[in-house]
Amino acid sequence: MKLPILSALTLVLTGFASHAAATTAREYQATLVAEARAGDAAFQGFSAARGDTFFHQRHNGDWSCATCHTDNPAASGLHAVTHKTIRPLAPAANAERFTSPEKIEKWFKRNCNDVLKRACTAREKGDLIDFLLTVKP
Amino acid sequence: MKILRLLPLLLAAAASTTFAGEHVYAPYTELYVRECASCHLAYPPELMTAPGWKRVMSQLDRHFGSDASLDTPTRDGVAAFLAQRASSREKHAPSENSARISKTVWFVREHGTAPPPKISFANCSACHTRAEQADFNERSLRLPAGFRHSERD
Repeated sequence: MKLPILSALTLVLTGFASHAAATTAREYQATLVAEARAGDAAFQGFSAARGDTFFHQRHNGDWSCATCHTDNPAASGLHAVTHKTIRPLAPAANAERFTSPEKIEKWFKRNCNDVLKRACTAREKGDLIDFLLTVKP
Repeated sequence: MKILRLLPLLLAAAASTTFAGEHVYAPYTELYVRECASCHLAYPPELMTAPGWKRVMSQLDRHFGSDASLDTPTRDGVAAFLAQRASSREKHAPSENSARISKTVWFVREHGTAPPPKISFANCSACHTRAEQADFNERSLRLPAGFRHSERD
């Protein structure tokens, strides 16, 4: 009897956690709109399809996002240099993702530099978040 | 007589390697693990000298092929922890600009210069099965099949 209650509770809590992640991701994304519009007068909103392409594409170097995070952001990845396991990037598969604006910025700064050799634009970041939020485990 | 002359040396060795005889290191701070163990294992600070760590921490934006930059307060916190626990022995001194642990005299003596096939020297846990627990005791060492000491160059 105890077990079903516990599992139900876990389910509810997990639900809350991924909801929180989605909220923070959306809130963070909202802060990017003005800058995206300033960079492109024709900006119509973020696009998961563009984010999908961006994630899988190599940009200015040897790596794409998928090099470490794999083609499926809901799967565990592997660091290209150190071979350490990287937990899934998609919030639906890992409730800890996109829960803190400071952490989001820390990793965008590092990983954009690694993959693009420059900072990402607001549109690129917003598109990527859109894409990651569509990924289901 | 001989042993008496050796005693200060032995004592000094024991004191400077409180746990090193067992190759088990003291627990790390929560900050160190949070900030330094996302991309790789949290390496024991005791495996490099303070000047080596200083060099690593001064070029985090170019950290062995990745950008690992931190905001200044976080960087300073990690740097202080590393400085406090750093080795003072010459065999742990950096031998090149990037200050890789795997290029120190001690590391090369223990591991050679070529890791086993498909294993990165960065990935201690591949062989040191309890490295995540800061435990590098040989009891938990599992070398890949076929990898022998003689393959070290």
